[in-house]
Amino acid sequence: MSEYHLNKLLYATAREHRIVEAIADEAVLAAYELSAEEREALRTGDVARLYELGANPYLIRRVFRPRFPV
Amino acid sequence: MASVVAGVLTSHAPLITARPEVGDHAARARFVGALEELRRRLERARPDVIVMFVNDHVQNFFYDAMPALCVGVADAYWAPSEGGSRFLRVPARRVPGHRAWARELLVAGLEAGFDLAYSHELEFWDDVSVPLHFLLPEARVPIVPVLTNCVAPPLPPPRRSWELGAFVREFVARRPAAERVALVGTGGLSHWIGVPGHGRINPEFDRRVLGWIAEGRGDAVAALGTDEIERDAGNGGQELRNWIAVLGALPGVKGEVLAYEPVAEWLTGCGAVWMLV
Repeated sequence: MSEYHLNKLLYATAREHRIVEAIADEAVLAAYELSAEEREALRTGDVARLYELGANPYLIRRVFRPRFPV
Repeated sequence: MASVVAGVLTSHAPLITARPEVGDHAARARFVGALEELRRRLERARPDVIVMFVNDHVQNFFYDAMPALCVGVADAYWAPSEGGSRFLRVPARRVPGHRAWARELLVAGLEAGFDLAYSHELEFWDDVSVPLHFLLPEARVPIVPVLTNCVAPPLPPPRRSWELGAFVREFVARRPAAERVALVGTGGLSHWIGVPGHGRINPEFDRRVLGWIAEGRGDAVAALGTDEIERDAGNGGQELRNWIAVLGALPGVKGEVLAYEPVAEWLTGCGAVWMLV
């Protein structure tokens, strides 16, 4: 389980006020201890999958704002 | 002896101020009108200090050290900060804290068995900034923020907030000074944020909770379990802990529900309650 690192990446992104549809920058992804599933969910901006994998929903909402209709 | 002169319960949500124009105009006007009525009543209660039961939204606290309960002991707080101001669309400002009062609360809490964390620097978003934008536009009364983890499970159980409120009531009653203390709890009611079902509101649950509060049955709200809240009121419903703390400080006191509007465009079941202290 690397959900701590998944949240760490999302927290760092949120602190920079970056709002994105996906996180596909391999250098960014490589900087955190992530599972293959976590990387894939970030690359595709799959917010439901990220939640299942243990990402905090408030961080998901902040970072992947364009993925939500409201 | 100091006394609790006011109890206020309100929802908070960034879109209340960020997107004031969306949705049903009449519903919005009723909710904002209720907040303005709460402001008038709070002014008339002339509090010397406002204890605010609120929660972080992972802007201050992270999983490296996640406090279940935390007391703010600073002289002032950003509510909101410049960054928060941009997305909340309310002016950035410093709201005064009450360091000495907060520290005494902290020490008494530790003595009473509450393992409280404390913080000298907190940045508030919609949790504090949106309610105070309406309730305390001139920020003349110092606040003492008491934060409960409502967003990063595992969460302290709702009954802990009831106990925390009861402790605050006893703390106030023991104080020698003729202080006038207001209690404000913000958050809820039902909403689903960032999870599957994002945007859902459950008015049936919200009206049930408000009905209990109107009858003076805060203990029924405190008896809700974390899983039950998650199922019926969403992850955002976990913020009811902040209301439960106020209810725990005022057991048996009835609440006057000034408004309830499930505002889909604000993603939140929006309630406003004045406790009949």
